[in-house]
Amino acid sequence: MPDNWGYVLAAYGVAVVVLTAYWRSLVRRDRALSALGDRRARPAGTGQRQAAAPADRRPGPGARSRTT
Amino acid sequence: MTVPTRVLGWLATLGLAAGLVVAFGVAPREVTQGNVQRIMYVHVPAVWVAYLAFTVVFAASVAHLWTRSPAADRVAAASTEVGVVFLGINIVTGSIWGKPTWGTWWTWDARLTSVTVVFLMYLGYLMLRRMTDDPERGARYAAVLGTLAAPSIYLVHTSVYWWRTLHQPPSLLKAGSATMPAVFWMAILVNFAALGLLAAYFVLRRMDLLRREQEALA
Repeated sequence: MPDNWGYVLAAYGVAVVVLTAYWRSLVRRDRALSALGDRRARPAGTGQRQAAAPADRRPGPGARSRTT
Repeated sequence: MTVPTRVLGWLATLGLAAGLVVAFGVAPREVTQGNVQRIMYVHVPAVWVAYLAFTVVFAASVAHLWTRSPAADRVAAASTEVGVVFLGINIVTGSIWGKPTWGTWWTWDARLTSVTVVFLMYLGYLMLRRMTDDPERGARYAAVLGTLAAPSIYLVHTSVYWWRTLHQPPSLLKAGSATMPAVFWMAILVNFAALGLLAAYFVLRRMDLLRREQEALA
């Protein structure tokens, strides 16, 4: 019987491609979830900074003129 | 990723390298089939890993139906996905082996048909989970399917005894001693260990992702 190396390489090639593709999909989902976690953490931090900012702001000359 | 998962990943990589060395460097050319027989070192271990994964699906599905444990559901879902990947590899590599050996890519004999039905059933399990709006209900439906689908694995294994098929009967998973020389079944066992480690690594990673996905949705 001929050796049929082409079929052997095709079979192992398919296995390598499928397993690599699945592993890459896991890595991609892992990164997406990490990025989502980072995005969710960031607005909370910026929100606190934005909330603190108006309290620090002193009344300007316009405010004084409005009261007078 | 936890340290044990990372270690498992590296062990799987080493195992796969050892499996390739044994399959192409140690195991001799088979006299009747020639080198195309080397496809068996990925084809057979892949289906054994899929059998194991679906057995885990059955146990975890029963556990989920019994306790409603989200962890059991994650084990079942991750094992199904990994089992489908390995069963897919088994079907495709078998088809590639069939062309030079049987003269056809595909034939609807009992083994090939039953394994295709099992593949579609577990693919249906994954689709069912995604199609249901309520994740808890989806997990419950999937657990019922994961429990009911388990006997089909036995059907695949015994199909070659129950019906007259083109597919040969098992050479290793059978009663009595092995009918092939030790070097051939040793090559199959080394590759089974390697693919088993890889499957365990995939299942652990997928379970971790499922837990984080559920936490993100909560």
